[in-house]
Amino acid sequence: MATVSFERATRRYPGTSRPAVDRLDLTAGDGEFLVLVGPSGCGKSTSLRMVAGLEPVDSGRIRIDHRDVTHADPKDRDIAMVFQNYALYPHMTVAQNLAFALKIGRIPRAEVRDRVLDAARLLDLEPHLDRKPKDLSGGQRQRVAMGRAIVRRPQVFLMDEPLSNLDAQLRLQTRNQIAALQRRLGTTTIYVTHDQVEAMTMGDRVAVLCNGVLQQCAAPRTLYRDPANVFVAGFIGSPAMNLISLPVLNDSVALGGWEIRAPRGISGPDVVVGIRPEHLEVSGIGIEIEVDVVEELGADAYVYGRIVDGATPVIARTDGLDPPQRGGRVRLQPVGGHIHFFGADGLPIR
Amino acid sequence: MSYLIRGVRRSIVRGVALYAALIGVAWCALFPILWALSGSLKTESEVATPTLVPSHPHWANYGEVFALMPFWRMFLNTVLYAGCVTAGQVFFCSLAGYSFARLRFRGRDTLFVLYLATLMVPLTVTVIPQFILMRTFGWTDTPLAMIVPGLFGSAFGTYLMRQFFRTLPTDLEEAAILDGCTPWQIYWRILLPQTKPAIMVLAVLTWVNVWNDFLWPLVMIQRQSIATLNLGLVWMQGQYVSRWPVLMAASILILLPLVLVYAIAQRAFVRGIAVTGFGGR
Amino acid sequence: MISIDDGGMPTKRRARAGRAFVAPNLAAIAVFMLFPLGFSLYMSFQKWDLFTPAKFVGLANFRHLFTDDPLFATALRNTAVYTIGTLVPAVLISLVVAALLNRKLKGISVFRAVVFVPLAVSSVVTAVMWQFVFNTDNGLLNTMLGWVGIGPVPWLLDPGWAMVSLCMISVWKSVPFATVVLLAAMQGVPHTLYEAARIDGASATRQFISITVPLIRGALSFVVVITIINAFQAFDQVYVLTGGHGGPETGTYVLGIMLFQHAFTFLDFGYASALAWVMFAILFGLTLLQLRLTRRSALEL
Repeated sequence: MATVSFERATRRYPGTSRPAVDRLDLTAGDGEFLVLVGPSGCGKSTSLRMVAGLEPVDSGRIRIDHRDVTHADPKDRDIAMVFQNYALYPHMTVAQNLAFALKIGRIPRAEVRDRVLDAARLLDLEPHLDRKPKDLSGGQRQRVAMGRAIVRRPQVFLMDEPLSNLDAQLRLQTRNQIAALQRRLGTTTIYVTHDQVEAMTMGDRVAVLCNGVLQQCAAPRTLYRDPANVFVAGFIGSPAMNLISLPVLNDSVALGGWEIRAPRGISGPDVVVGIRPEHLEVSGIGIEIEVDVVEELGADAYVYGRIVDGATPVIARTDGLDPPQRGGRVRLQPVGGHIHFFGADGLPIR
Repeated sequence: MSYLIRGVRRSIVRGVALYAALIGVAWCALFPILWALSGSLKTESEVATPTLVPSHPHWANYGEVFALMPFWRMFLNTVLYAGCVTAGQVFFCSLAGYSFARLRFRGRDTLFVLYLATLMVPLTVTVIPQFILMRTFGWTDTPLAMIVPGLFGSAFGTYLMRQFFRTLPTDLEEAAILDGCTPWQIYWRILLPQTKPAIMVLAVLTWVNVWNDFLWPLVMIQRQSIATLNLGLVWMQGQYVSRWPVLMAASILILLPLVLVYAIAQRAFVRGIAVTGFGGR
Repeated sequence: MISIDDGGMPTKRRARAGRAFVAPNLAAIAVFMLFPLGFSLYMSFQKWDLFTPAKFVGLANFRHLFTDDPLFATALRNTAVYTIGTLVPAVLISLVVAALLNRKLKGISVFRAVVFVPLAVSSVVTAVMWQFVFNTDNGLLNTMLGWVGIGPVPWLLDPGWAMVSLCMISVWKSVPFATVVLLAAMQGVPHTLYEAARIDGASATRQFISITVPLIRGALSFVVVITIINAFQAFDQVYVLTGGHGGPETGTYVLGIMLFQHAFTFLDFGYASALAWVMFAILFGLTLLQLRLTRRSALEL
């Protein structure tokens, strides 16, 4: 059983000004499902590839099960990877694809057959064993990619955005299957995605990266409730948290005619106020906005508007049964205890 | 309403014109062969008459070809040379092409530029020293001179294969690396099976090149027993100067195998050319 | 995403494999291409006939070539005529033929297969067959000309006509390859462009000139370069059609024949090597010129 740790791991592509991954310090516990999430170019895929051995480590270390694998060959690391485009061998059948790594590793034929059949059964691939990848649907191909990793029985699974090529409904379904599979197998998994909803629903812990730097690594709930900086606050949650920069006057800030008490000890003249859409209630009193668009999703409705004196955009969630009208004015009252304050350095002020 | 009829009439006329043009082009492409075919079936005397179709097909001409030259021997020789060189080219050029495309080693890119530079060198410059080289090795007038120079591949073949390897997705190779493959295994078991179109092009080009080669056999070979079909035809032409029917029969016999091979391979070959990027660059 | 071959995995094993995989290929090229290149340059400064030892003569071969050898001027002129006489008709005809074949007519694949047949015929067989076609007394061409009352043309007996005959054969052989390449390029032009042009009111010819031709520029220049290179070095067809002396009366005396003659008939290897290098230089210059021309027009587009 294995832990995976990054120890000040850095990777800089030649000719670029900043590192793709900058002194990453992160540890995935034994059996943990750790998700790396962040916008494009944040370094999540690069970090994953560093664990795989497909990307060189310029400084720092990578350890798998406390063993220093920083310069070890990929095949000596006892890992398996699921690629974004699946990377199935087109000229081989599903069964051959599943068996390939085992054959290379000189595993005896009987055991190869057992493992392949086990994985096929687990992933519902038995009827497709003799077909070639081009004859399979996207979802089936994705399962073969997973199967290839499973038969290896590695210490670590690495998954590089395995769901991004599936349509929305299949994605949802497969998401749950992957999470269930991982719980059942108990293998340490590092999972990369750009979709924060995926990250929040699947991960035991989620590591948020931006520009190669780790922003915060914590359980989903913690990321939601106590974001470590303004980037995490704005990245996690859908729709995104409302982040508004306001001047501080007498320990309070004014927003659309509504006064909010600010915490003591704010150094600069401005502060960033963060309120999630789900923590703004349409009511008689509060921040006054003019409604631009109302998205009705059935159970919920999202109100997109602008603050009357200022034109700052604001998003609020409300009950889907009787949402406000477009063009009208409503007042949004922030739910107590859910207002975040961030300083000029992006860090929260409590 | 009349413009509809006019339109239909115009498209019919266009259709007919197109087909006529195509038939014209086809005739231009085939007439020397058809003329040779017709000549090969005439008797010596009939050849003087300007008819397209002979009155009685004189198949005996074909039989005489075998009497006047060791056709089967030469056929086998040509197959041997073409086969060996094609197999060698495909293997060594694809191996080197994979290397240049995907394996990093010191000096790789400068070396490749050198390869590209040799593509510019015309045959005329290298033929004389190659001749002298063969003499030095003692290979003149032996099959070795026909096979060895091309056996280990060429710059062109490597260039072709390298370009194609570069179009293959990298994650296939990464998956293979993670599965534990050595570079040879990656090449042989994973990537090579994906290069069929390029290999097809290279194989056909090489085969046709060796089969049709004339200057090199002319310079290297004196003995009939190891001669190629082309050489045999020219010797025959020299010996039986005006015996058109037999000469035409020999020509038809020699071009038949290649045309057959070509007819079969044609589709794959044209697709291969498009895929390897000779078109529309 | 940085790909594997850009330094993502610089392991020693891959480097070692890389060198090993290239080695046989490189060895062949070094022995059969690079060494001959250097050796032939060396030989061009010698006088050598294989039996007596070589004698260093400096630039004498080149001097003789350019100043004393009238046959060189003839060969140069003949080669130029032959090259242009092949290039221009071949390119024009292949453009038209490729355009004709670039349709979805029924049975078009049969026509395509037929047009490509000359590719499969060797130069030798081609020349022998065309000899019969060009036969003064009973060849196909004179027979057909006779039907319309034109007197027999001495295709292979008159120096001027011999060159014409040679060009005809060369065009016949060059068109299929050029057509294959151009056709592949044409098929890469998106249909939507033609549809847009048709809506804009362009005729078929207009579409061809303004859309097809510019977009297959790369393939066109490739075809031009290859055709020039092949025509410049022509030997096989000439040798078989009119013999190894470039007859009749030097009418078909091209550079390829001159080279063969000096090397393998007169055994004057030094002189032949000098000639080969001059040919190389001319060819190199022509290709560079052609590349520069196409690059400039590409920038203008």
